[in-house]
Amino acid sequence: MFAKLKKKIAEEAAIAPRPGGAARIPRSVSKESITSVGADSGDDFASDGSSSREDLSSQLLRRNEQIRKLEAKLSDYAEQVRNLQKIKEKLEIALEKHQDSSMKKFQEQNEAYQANRAKMAEGMALALEKKDQEWRGKLVHLEKEKEMLSAQLQEMREQSLNLFQKRDEIDELEGFQQQELAKVKHMLLKKEESLSRAEQELEACSRELTRAKEELQVTNHLSSLLSNEVQELRQQDSELEAQRDELVAAEANAENKITVLEQRGQELQTFIQHLSADLQNARVAASGCEKRLETLQMEHESLKLEYEQHKLKMTVEVDEKNKLIEHLQEKVSSLEKRLEGNFSGDEHVWELLKEKTALEQKLDDTRQQLLTARTNHAETVNLLEAQVTKLNSKVTEAQGSLCEREEFLKNFKESNVCQLKELEQALQLANGALEKSKEEIGERELQIQKLQTDLEVESSKLQQHISTVKQQCAERISRLEAQIAVLETAREFDKTTSQQRISQLEQENEDFNESRQEYESSLKKQESELERLKKELSSRETVSVEIAKALEETRKQREELQQQVTDLILLIKGKDQLINEKTDVILKKEEELNQLRQGHEALLLQMHLLQSDIEACKSQAAEREETAGKQISALRLKMQEQQEHLLASGRNVLALEAARAFNKHLYPPEDREVEQNGEVAAADIIQLKKDNRDLEQQISEKNKMIKQLQQRMAELKKTLQKELKIRPDCEIPEVREKPNSEVPNAAMTVTNNSDLNDSREINFEYLKHVVLKFMSCRESEAFHLIKAVSVLLNFSQEEENMLKETLEYKMSWFGSKPSPKGSIRPSISNPRTAWS
Amino acid sequence: MGGFFSTIFSSLFGTREMRILILGLDGAGKTTILYRLQVGEVVTTIPTIGFNVETVTYKNLKFQVWDLGGQTSIRPYWRCYYSNTDAVIYVVDSCDRDRIGISKSELVAMLEEEELKKAILVVFANKQDMEQAMTPTEMANSLGLPALKDKKWQIFKTSATKGTGLDEAMEWLVEALKNRQ
Repeated sequence: MFAKLKKKIAEEAAIAPRPGGAARIPRSVSKESITSVGADSGDDFASDGSSSREDLSSQLLRRNEQIRKLEAKLSDYAEQVRNLQKIKEKLEIALEKHQDSSMKKFQEQNEAYQANRAKMAEGMALALEKKDQEWRGKLVHLEKEKEMLSAQLQEMREQSLNLFQKRDEIDELEGFQQQELAKVKHMLLKKEESLSRAEQELEACSRELTRAKEELQVTNHLSSLLSNEVQELRQQDSELEAQRDELVAAEANAENKITVLEQRGQELQTFIQHLSADLQNARVAASGCEKRLETLQMEHESLKLEYEQHKLKMTVEVDEKNKLIEHLQEKVSSLEKRLEGNFSGDEHVWELLKEKTALEQKLDDTRQQLLTARTNHAETVNLLEAQVTKLNSKVTEAQGSLCEREEFLKNFKESNVCQLKELEQALQLANGALEKSKEEIGERELQIQKLQTDLEVESSKLQQHISTVKQQCAERISRLEAQIAVLETAREFDKTTSQQRISQLEQENEDFNESRQEYESSLKKQESELERLKKELSSRETVSVEIAKALEETRKQREELQQQVTDLILLIKGKDQLINEKTDVILKKEEELNQLRQGHEALLLQMHLLQSDIEACKSQAAEREETAGKQISALRLKMQEQQEHLLASGRNVLALEAARAFNKHLYPPEDREVEQNGEVAAADIIQLKKDNRDLEQQISEKNKMIKQLQQRMAELKKTLQKELKIRPDCEIPEVREKPNSEVPNAAMTVTNNSDLNDSREINFEYLKHVVLKFMSCRESEAFHLIKAVSVLLNFSQEEENMLKETLEYKMSWFGSKPSPKGSIRPSISNPRTAWS
Repeated sequence: MGGFFSTIFSSLFGTREMRILILGLDGAGKTTILYRLQVGEVVTTIPTIGFNVETVTYKNLKFQVWDLGGQTSIRPYWRCYYSNTDAVIYVVDSCDRDRIGISKSELVAMLEEEELKKAILVVFANKQDMEQAMTPTEMANSLGLPALKDKKWQIFKTSATKGTGLDEAMEWLVEALKNRQ
């Protein structure tokens, strides 16, 4: 096993460098060669140097040996890799064998399957028969269903009959409903009547109320009248009192009048005395007046006579004066004519003659006037003589009247004496009369006293009467008051009664109101009831409508059901046909089923076989897993060993470094030795330094190698794990026959290749990216990318330099384009070689 | 010739572009750090097959930052970019304890290169926002950083997604680069 593995590894090691690390491994080889050379030189130094140097050389020798051992181990690893490669080959062979075996098995299985199919066909035939029976059973079942459906049809008919019955019932219900409605209406009417009655009662009550109110008003009026009467009575009472006062005043007036009358009596008596005195005085005055009248008449006659004398004298004198005036005028005229005749004697004579004639005429006139005056005088004398005779007669008559008067006086004196006598007698009589009047006065006084007494009596009587009247009045007043009180009480009683009545009426009113309210409430209730009933009626109507609708719907349903029944009958017929068809189909399918069963059985057999195979495969897989696990453990062991080796090598390296440090420490003494030994020692030291550097480089390279190996190991591990994960799913049945441990290795190599491809793909992508950037980015950036591009595209040093120069040329502002060199331009040099 | 002029110009304007490489194993967060430095945002990244190069300006210093893909198959090509490098940002996933050894070996191999002798090393202990993250000292020890004698290095704990620690690291790097000149 292990040997094979080792061979495989060795082979792989031989193959692996070819595709990948062509650049790296050769370098390491070259370095190895260098180290080997260096080691030889170190040996030379050891032989030549001093004791310390010998130590060093011996140490170097030891190091070299160790290195050699490490190399030998490395070669061992290489061998192991080869062994692994071998294992892989073997696994490939095993795979081929397995494929062959699987082909054979496949053929066998195919045969078995065909046999199974035949069996299955038989089974299907049997199954079809069974199915046929089942279908028949189903047919019977369907017939039963048909019967059921006919029964349902009958039921439906019954239902329809029931529906008719229900309809009748509904009609009845409607009749009942109508009756109920009529009842309700009747009740409503009754209620309305009762309501109207109640309203009427209410109205009567209200009327009574109004009447009661009117009565109340009347009683109030009565009470007011009574109170008026009372007032009137009071007024009467007051009037009576006033009358009484007036009567008292009248009494006082009467008394006053009596006194006044007495005074007037006295005054009358004095007046009578005055009158008598006046009468006497008047008589005296009458006599004086008569005497004065006589004298006055006398004087009047004398005056008349004087007047006539004067009148006569005056007439005479007027005649004399007129005659004088005429004489004087004649003289004036004659004198005037003389005044004028002084001038001439004829005219003067003429004038004197005219004057003598005027004077003679005047003397004639005057004579005639004297004769007239004498005649007038003689007539006046005759008148005066008549007058004297008349006066003489008159005197004689006055003397006769005087005598008569004297006689009359004597008669008068005599009558006066008689009268005196008579007056004396009358006085006496008057004194008697006075006495009589005095008596009369006394009588009258008595009478007055009597009258006074009478008056007093009368007054007392009157007072009594007044008192009585007063009493009567009081009594009457009291009576009236009593009456008033009675009336008041009556009124109060009336009031109270009326109030009570009012209160009663009010109560009644309230009761009526309450009753009215109750009636109203009841009315409302009844109205609400009415509304409710109306609603119920409407709802019932709606219900009846709904019922009618339901009836119609039921009718429709019935029709639909009838249609459904007809449809169902049709369906049943169709189904019968279908059943017939399906029985045919069933027969066919039963046949198929038999066939399928046969096939199924065959397949089951195959399945059993395959399961047994799978179990075998599983056991193989388990074995393989075990072997793989062993391998893995072995590999891990190897890994550990290698790690240990590595650690050892690392330690060696560290030791070497330490040794180097030690060497460095040792340099100062060496310097001294240099001083001692001269130039040779110095050369040796340089040599040693070079060797040391070489060695260090080798060590670093080896470290890198080790790292690479570790990476590879890690990758191998990953792939192994992947394989282990994948295998149980797909590979186990195939690998059943060959329980070889080489198979996974083969797979691993394959995946390894794919991984390599992957890395190549990544590298290609990387190259693409870098080239893109190189072409697109700035020159300063591109300058840094030259190396990356040249590494990626394996440019030679010259090609790289050329790139750099062109870039520098591009970046610079001036300068010549670098001249192309033939060897750097492979595109030109290659065709040339082709042609040559 | 052009290089000469560019050096003259750069010396005139005092802004020579610093060349910085961001290296590290795949999935350490190199691309996220690059774009966090450049645009200040967290971008969704896919595994880098190849590289990303961006110009980042930090404190008047221009950096040409190269983010090289860290997958195993393309790690060998890192060495193609080493020349003229001023600084290396080596990004390590603080939670990936299994591959810290591989990370260390890669770092050691890188540091052995002659072209990176003068380069400044900044280690980013990334993904510090995770719970099971290693501490920077633990990380430095497991990477063998204390053993580095002739190399200027510093370790920073960072979180590219949260953006913590990046500023301190860049400041230190700027100072180191200024001091070196």
